[in-house]
Amino acid sequence: MPRYLIERTFAGEVRIPDEIVDRNEDAGVTWLQSFVSDDGRTMFCVYEAPTPEAIRRAARANGLPVDRIAQVRVLDPHAYG
Amino acid sequence: MPALAVVGGRLHHPPVQAVPAAGQDELLERDGELALLEEALGAVQGTGSGRVVVLGGEAGVGKTTLLRRFCEGRERVLWGSCDPLFAPQPFGAIRDVAELAGGRLGELLAADAKPHEVVAELLRQLAGGPHLLVLEDVNWADEATLDVFRLLARKIALAPVLLVATYRDDELDVRHPLRLVLGELATAPALRRIRLAPLGLGSVERLAARHGVDPDELFQRTGGNPFFVVEALAAGTDGVPGTVKDAVLARAGRLDAHAHRLLETVSLLPPEAELWLLERVAGDVLDGLEGCLASGLLAPTRNGVVFRHELARVAVEESVPPNVRLGVHERALAALAEPPGGRRELARLAHHAEAVGDEAAVVELATAAAREAAKVGAHREAAAQLARAVRFGAVRLTPSERAALLEERATECYITDQYDDGIAALEEALAHHRASADVLGEGRVLSRLAEFLWCPGRVVEADRAGWAAFALLERLPPGAELARCYAEVAFKCAGAARGDEGLELARRGVELAREHGDESLWLRCRTTLGAIERGDAGYAELARVIEDAQRRSLPDRAGAAYAMLVQRALSEGRRDLVERYLDEAFAYCSDHSLELFRLYLLSFRARFALDRCDWVAAAEAAEQVIGIERTSISPRITALVVLALVRARRGDPGAAPLLDEAWALARPTGEPGRVAPVAAARAECAWLLGDLEAVDEATAEPLEQALRLGALGNARELASRRALAGLTAGIEPDGRDARAWLDAGCDYEAALCLLDSDGEDDLREALDIFVRLDARPAAAIAARRLRLGGARGIPRGPRRVTRGNPASLTERELEVLALVAQGLRNGEIAQRLVVSRRTVDHHVSAILRKLGVRTRAQAGAEATRRGYVEAG
Repeated sequence: MPRYLIERTFAGEVRIPDEIVDRNEDAGVTWLQSFVSDDGRTMFCVYEAPTPEAIRRAARANGLPVDRIAQVRVLDPHAYG
Repeated sequence: MPALAVVGGRLHHPPVQAVPAAGQDELLERDGELALLEEALGAVQGTGSGRVVVLGGEAGVGKTTLLRRFCEGRERVLWGSCDPLFAPQPFGAIRDVAELAGGRLGELLAADAKPHEVVAELLRQLAGGPHLLVLEDVNWADEATLDVFRLLARKIALAPVLLVATYRDDELDVRHPLRLVLGELATAPALRRIRLAPLGLGSVERLAARHGVDPDELFQRTGGNPFFVVEALAAGTDGVPGTVKDAVLARAGRLDAHAHRLLETVSLLPPEAELWLLERVAGDVLDGLEGCLASGLLAPTRNGVVFRHELARVAVEESVPPNVRLGVHERALAALAEPPGGRRELARLAHHAEAVGDEAAVVELATAAAREAAKVGAHREAAAQLARAVRFGAVRLTPSERAALLEERATECYITDQYDDGIAALEEALAHHRASADVLGEGRVLSRLAEFLWCPGRVVEADRAGWAAFALLERLPPGAELARCYAEVAFKCAGAARGDEGLELARRGVELAREHGDESLWLRCRTTLGAIERGDAGYAELARVIEDAQRRSLPDRAGAAYAMLVQRALSEGRRDLVERYLDEAFAYCSDHSLELFRLYLLSFRARFALDRCDWVAAAEAAEQVIGIERTSISPRITALVVLALVRARRGDPGAAPLLDEAWALARPTGEPGRVAPVAAARAECAWLLGDLEAVDEATAEPLEQALRLGALGNARELASRRALAGLTAGIEPDGRDARAWLDAGCDYEAALCLLDSDGEDDLREALDIFVRLDARPAAAIAARRLRLGGARGIPRGPRRVTRGNPASLTERELEVLALVAQGLRNGEIAQRLVVSRRTVDHHVSAILRKLGVRTRAQAGAEATRRGYVEAG
């Protein structure tokens, strides 16, 4: 399944709803990992999803913002060692 | 009795009669699913409004067992099962339900009612609820049953009923009609999907321990499939059987001789072996019934017995020796020809006639079954039955009889959007007509081929067939065939810059059809005329066709006219007409099982939403169309373009592959109506990426083609995209300016127009609109132009959209809200922010919507309450 990196900007502190896993499942997406900026207002999330629309659907269900979605693949630094 | 445990099974009738008493079944790992069902039923009881649960899982995973447990001890349970027959009986599962529900439903079905009439009655009968309605194995549903499921699910809120539909998710190929239905229902608020997973190792271990079987081996062999696990344990063999079939046959092998023969007989009599039928087919071994029931392989129903599980039935059926099999089918055929109730089940009869190899009977029964199915709108089954009739009539029928059946089959294929099959049928019919020197038939089939070939994009062949028909039929005395042909070639003229000629031919077609044809043909020719005739006259004609067709109960003609009207209104920018007809047309085609037109209308819905900048609705409708592989390419092209543009405009990845597919479909047709929208979308995407050369490349050839063929609307569409990149086109883009686009609700298009200006105000307004629409790439272009023009205070990159605030107001909206809260009027706000009055109007209505208030005063109060603006 394609992998996506999602940038989210929050007005205040990052807030993740408790039901996020269920709602993601309903939308057919899987949340793999996230990074949060020091000020706690920007988040970068790695997701597996069938389409960008599925990511937005999940975001709407969870009340999470979406600034930008990029499709990504993994580059392993060891390959450059 | 052996532990039936987690065995799944097929019950034709409600669980109370057909299942061993509660407590014997052990249900493992299903507490979560039971709780979800309980919760859904609770919601139905609490609110009085219905809900839908769709339960999917592989064959044998325990869908039925779960539902049986859930239904245990409840009242008002209705249960219908779909059968794995080739071309099953229309309304199969609904007939089960009608039998249980009583009332008028049965009468309606006997009177060949349409699915929407059945649903209306069902809702009436369910009003007294709360009811639990189970439709089992809808992956096998005939088209009429599937329609009932779809319509009922859409209207579920109207009655206090929990509708649970199960399906085998390992049996849905990409073209499966259930996929479209599930896709359409995916976003329904009252719908919940549950997927049953196989058992985990722990549960398998628990079951294995009681039988002294190696749990690891059991788990590996069965993959945790509950049906397989239980069969393997019940097989009574040393070690674990290698396949489900081995397991089932081992269990069957322990029956006595009579029971075993009876079991074989039942396996050959799907969907259900009624007692009267068993008496006549296997009366000598009927005493084996007890043994079969005790073994757990069969379960009793209201009228007879069924296999507890379809997997077991198939395993036994495959093991029956050919001579035994033939005898059973022969006796079944004779018995079913004279059923006690009097009403012959044609699909079932055809099944046995085929097994016996009685060609004459298959042809007669399959043809009759096809017509019966078509009458209630089960066109897919009708097409399949006709194919069967043709196949078995290969030797017995004359060429012209075969041709007639093939043409009939083509009609059913048309309605169900199976063009490839329809074309094959017509080509075969054509050969038969030629062999018997039937020129009239040849001309008729060629006209129809012209229509069919167009749909999958085989335009050159379609043209050739149309004109060949024209040449043949013009030599014969004028009649219905020529009328149809005129309608067909009129279209081709209109698409080839020969509009006047097309109009003339269409008019002659209408006249001829009035004199010689039936009403359906007359309406068809008028639809063509309405599509070609310019201006309001054409729309008025189409509207009259819709009315006339409905009055005469010719739904496929009404559907075709609806689709034509909406398509034309959409391409000519007639928002008033699109709004007036689109939803009505979609509901009508849904109610009348007109799958092809529904697909078209769904793609139009996607396009209309895109033009109105409703990205979410546009993407949803487009995904539904794309989700199903079909042979008709126009709806697919439209949907691919819409989804690609939604992605590109929001800055999401993945637009290019969609457009590549659309381009590959559209380009070979050489038709501006199909090519230009794709080319325009490619150009827009290239422009958003800053690749101006690619804009030229994408549009140059299609533009030249559109101009050459007189497709001015398409040429303007391309010109407008070239204008984005500063390219000329030899034709003016659409004359509408930004105001006109805003009035039409096409804000994105308006903002594109504003971008063309050098004025800072215009650019700022464009930027505002793009930001409001969450159109990041275009917003970035607008911001860059503003900065290049020396404007100050333009943020780098997109303006931050502060969706973190609960109402999701943008910064600009917060700014406007602050001024609204101070009591400023829109005109004043526009002056203050140096934007147009209309932009402010838009902001204000967005604010009201997001805050969920109706007036400006309430918005001000709400803003203060939420702390967006300082009080005072």
